[in-house]
Amino acid sequence: MNTLRMMGKVLRHPNEFYYDLQAPGVARWSHAILLIILAFIARMISILVTGYAFETREPYEISFLFEFVWIVVPWISWSISNWAVSTILDGEGKFKEIVVGSAYALVPYIVFVVPVTLLTNVLSLDEASTYRLFMSIIQFWVILLFLIKVRVLHDFEIGKMIWITILTLIGMFIMWFVCFILYGLIDEFVNFIINLFKEISFRT
Amino acid sequence: MRYAFTRSWRSFIVTLCLAVLMPVAVYADSPYEGYIYNNLEEDVHSINGYLYLDSWDGFGTEAGPLNAPEDIFVDANDRIYVADAGNNRILLLDDEFELIRIYGDADGPGKLNNPKGVFVTEDGTVYVADTNNKRVAVFNADGSYEREIPEPKSSLLGDNFVYSPSKLIVDKRGYLFVVSNGTTNGLLQISQNGEFESFFGGNRVSFNWTRLLLRWFASEEQRAQIVAERPLEISNLYQDTEGFIYTTTLGGQYNQVKRLSPVGVDTLNQGNVWYGDYYVSGPFSLPAFVDVTVDRNGLITIIDQNSNKAFQYNKLGYLLFIFGGTGEQNGLMKTVSAIDQTSDGTMYIADSSRNRIDRFRTTPFGELVHRASALYVEGRYEEAEELWREVLRYNSNYDMAYHAIGKAMYKAERYEEAMQYFKLARTRGDYSQAFKEYRKELMREHFEWILVGVVVLFILIRYVLPPLVRKLRARIGSSGTNSRPHAGNQAIVKEGEAG
Repeated sequence: MNTLRMMGKVLRHPNEFYYDLQAPGVARWSHAILLIILAFIARMISILVTGYAFETREPYEISFLFEFVWIVVPWISWSISNWAVSTILDGEGKFKEIVVGSAYALVPYIVFVVPVTLLTNVLSLDEASTYRLFMSIIQFWVILLFLIKVRVLHDFEIGKMIWITILTLIGMFIMWFVCFILYGLIDEFVNFIINLFKEISFRT
Repeated sequence: MRYAFTRSWRSFIVTLCLAVLMPVAVYADSPYEGYIYNNLEEDVHSINGYLYLDSWDGFGTEAGPLNAPEDIFVDANDRIYVADAGNNRILLLDDEFELIRIYGDADGPGKLNNPKGVFVTEDGTVYVADTNNKRVAVFNADGSYEREIPEPKSSLLGDNFVYSPSKLIVDKRGYLFVVSNGTTNGLLQISQNGEFESFFGGNRVSFNWTRLLLRWFASEEQRAQIVAERPLEISNLYQDTEGFIYTTTLGGQYNQVKRLSPVGVDTLNQGNVWYGDYYVSGPFSLPAFVDVTVDRNGLITIIDQNSNKAFQYNKLGYLLFIFGGTGEQNGLMKTVSAIDQTSDGTMYIADSSRNRIDRFRTTPFGELVHRASALYVEGRYEEAEELWREVLRYNSNYDMAYHAIGKAMYKAERYEEAMQYFKLARTRGDYSQAFKEYRKELMREHFEWILVGVVVLFILIRYVLPPLVRKLRARIGSSGTNSRPHAGNQAIVKEGEAG
């Protein structure tokens, strides 16, 4: 019930919500995990209820895992990158607040994506602009919440907020790049070890 | 005696083998497998529309063996003109390959040198693209040399222009449209006197970001070093019965086939249209379309010299059949160079490496699809419907049939069924159209219920919901939480946590 009330609050009074989030004991890990799972469920339901004319992918092209990854990875990498950047540049936010606050920023998506997607069942492709308008409102809202979150949690003014946001995005891409390279190297290394063992076992 | 004995034994074995093998030979599979692309651009099995019939190479006939045949022209009476380039002559054959006449003199002005193209007007005058003589030679219907149309001279052609006529047609006004090898500006429109009129139907250089950036940042010297991007070369042309000129283009990924209007504008392709095979797997290579033929229903058949396959499209650009392939077996080819068809739909394909002409006949399935497609192209969807249903009975992979039946249903105002068929054909645009009509229908039928629903919803939102919300707010408020927190609200939130 408490989570639900906070979800309502982040929709109606985002500024106050993020002020409140800084109070001790308000930000909870369990809320963040719950919200991410809700976002994933909302995403899967929206894929399921999309009208045929609006589907851009064949069913076999959709993977549970990938949809999940596409929500979780940006969320975590944004949180880490934002925390790292703002800590260096005098931000006040704590890591836990950032993680939970980012999850709450997804609330407009969680709440509205399914009803908006249901529209695709009564609209034809000629009227797709209506659907697209609502979708972009949701996206805009989510982005706005992210920005408010950065501003309020770290107590920045507008200029610095934009600067930190850009740095955070750059940081995210660097993280992804490094992870990609690390994955490649580790993969090579593991393959090397496996081959070494195979070779030795063949010889003996 | 012994010799006779072995011979009779041998003939017995041969007879036995034949007896055993014959049925196999009769039911032998075609060396190529029928396939088609569905609307997901996947190659799926289909039934062959064309099968190998026979070949003719001229050995042991009055005409003598062919040598590098480069062009085939079939006239209105189904007589076949073959540009036998290696033998410097044009053969006129009937549709069973019986020689009627040979064009091209042994000596004198009528001597041809590597003629790569031939076109015949309705009165039987033969125009030959006499490639190595750099001229167009004209012969009378009786085979006698009449005159030549020499190399056109014009300042518009540029200094580096080399005239190498390889293919040609003559339109109803008497203008020649000539493909000159190496010319990238398009077809040469030439008058009967050999005067250059204009370029016609040339390809354009498409926009390219890399080139734009290079042009911005390169210095004068660097710019001079960059090879100028030239438009793609036209490889062949065909004039259909309505007088439209079709061209094939060498290279490029899209729109290699064009139907040119009288002012030279492509009327076949909208946007980028892919022709030939999609490279689902295997090495990527672009097709090289070298010839095109169009029948009176507008069926376009093009041949690709890389894969040695023929691709047939209907007038609207739907792929119908793919046949042929690279190889030694009958039905496969080594270097396709020309294609044309007789009025019964038999395809004549010249193979310039194997020096022969292969014939392909339509299968019953092919004929069925052709009939259905012709009705469909004319917009007679209802008449075509039964034929398309039969197509599906033979081959349920044929996406075009679902689409066509969907259109028939749509026209018959059976929108719900139309939606099902469009879904099967995976054509979302048409599905959406049908859905729109279906929605209209539903609205009309159930108007009262929808009206009642709207009124009820309005009443709910206007009169029932607000008191409920107020009650809920009051309960939350009484349990200690703020309804409207302001700055310095940390303590209040803490209260909320506790409550």
